[in-house]
Formats: sequence, C-alpha cells, structure tokens
Amino acid sequence: MSDPLSQHYEYLDAINPIDGNKFTVKISCERMQIVARRGKGHVYEMAYVLPEVLIKPKAIFTGLRRDEDEPMKSNSFGSLCYVGRPSVAYMSNGQRVEPWPDQVYLVFVSDENAVYNWRWEKADSYDLDLPKEHDKRFKRRAL
Amino acid sequence: MINKPEKNFEDIALGYLDENIEFEPTATYDVDGDCVEFLARPDSFYAERIDDLVTVYYSQETDEIIGSLIKGVSKYCQKLKEKMPGFIIEIHEGSIMLEHLFLARMWESDMEEMRVIVYKQLQEAAERTNIRVPICKV
Repeated sequence: MSDPLSQHYEYLDAINPIDGNKFTVKISCERMQIVARRGKGHVYEMAYVLPEVLIKPKAIFTGLRRDEDEPMKSNSFGSLCYVGRPSVAYMSNGQRVEPWPDQVYLVFVSDENAVYNWRWEKADSYDLDLPKEHDKRFKRRAL
Repeated sequence: MINKPEKNFEDIALGYLDENIEFEPTATYDVDGDCVEFLARPDSFYAERIDDLVTVYYSQETDEIIGSLIKGVSKYCQKLKEKMPGFIIEIHEGSIMLEHLFLARMWESDMEEMRVIVYKQLQEAAERTNIRVPICKV
C-alpha cells in the first residue's frame, strides 16, 4: 500500500553533500500549484532551472545562521542551500533568456528533504559562484 | 528513504502549467519552511535579505519591489504576541492582514532609515493587494 502522504509530493534528484551521489528530494504539490499560478516563466524556472541547480551546484551550504527556528535532527545537516549558476533564465512570459548577470540561483532544502524555496539572488562581488554575504548567512560549506 | 517515480520531473512540473489562469497577488503559508511568501506581480524576480525576518523580491525587469518572503512566521507571531499583547486582536480565524505584519515589524524593531523605507514600500504593496495571511498556531 502506498503512503498517502507521498501523494502530496513530487520527487527529483539532487546531489548529496555527504557523498556526492544522487539522492531524492521532494516538493509539495501545493507549493508547485502556487508557483504555477504565477505564470509560465515561474513554471519554466521550476521545471528547468531548479533541477539543474540541485544536480550541478557550485556550492552547498549547511546551517542557515539566521534560521534559529529551523527544526534540526541530531543526525542531519539541518537545512541545505544549493547554489548554482544555471544555463538559462526565464522572463515572466516564459521567454528563455541568458542567465541574469551577476546573480546565482539558490534552492533551499529542509532536513526532511523537502525543497521549500528557490530564487535568484545577487552574487558575491568577489566570487560570482556564491551568493552575497554567504559567509554571514551559512555556518558551513559542505560542497 | 524516498522512492522516486520514473516520470521526469520536468514533465511533471510543466504539467502544472495552466495558461487560462490569470495572475492574482497572493500571500501563501508554506509549512515546510514556516514562511509566508507574498507576490504582488508575476515578474521574474531576484531576492535580497534585509534582515532575519524578511527577504525582499525585486522585479528582474524593473527593479521594483514586487513581493517578499517572511521567515519563521509562527515563531515571529508568538514573539509579537508576547511583546505587544494587543497584536492578538489583529488575528482573525488564524490569519492577519499582511500589511499589519510589516507594520508590527517596524514598531517592534529599531531599524535604520533605509530599511524603514523598504518596509514601508512592502507595507504599501501589501495594502494595495488587501491580502490576509494564514498564520496558524499563535
């Protein structure tokens, strides 16, 4: 019998910061429906940009310094933040464009392996592969 | 251990697209992140954290403020309730007007002028959309 809760999530691959192999993360269907209501560009970003960053991250950070409220199990990394420089970006109308200059793409994954947020952010001016203020925001770089 | 279905994620994600749906400003609570995400316009956006509570969304096309992410909402509302007991009267059936959350933040926090300006812009954007935020366990 299938787990009824599993029906509320979709699944995709990500790089595991522990061993560099693939593992599976999930996104709630509710979250995907919310993003879909924002229009074509946001759906294309979710379909193409987000998986690319989870599989080809430039960095993975653990321990979000300002997320003091995050639940963290003793045997886990806590939340993860994948950082990448994807090959494409999308306008709100779905038009495919070059990646936004001097920006990186962040994907946040909870300690339950749930992808709960993703977005473009300004890159660090000294290292365009990393987000601005990464040294203040994260406790450790795992990859 | 999660068992991943065989279907390609790209196809699954694209299957959520419904071009007949018109964009409407929204504020949604995400239980996995305990956060409220507000989006007033459908533009592609980039984000910038302004403090430990709020990340602001700027349009990639115009650099205008078009939304925000409010993190740790349950805990923050609990803190507001303790710090400003009157805050509880703004909560009706587990939800609050979004602009009141931004206003409360300005009241309870000693912030520099630049950050006040951003919060005021967020508050105005929220006022225009007249959105209530489901916040839950306070």
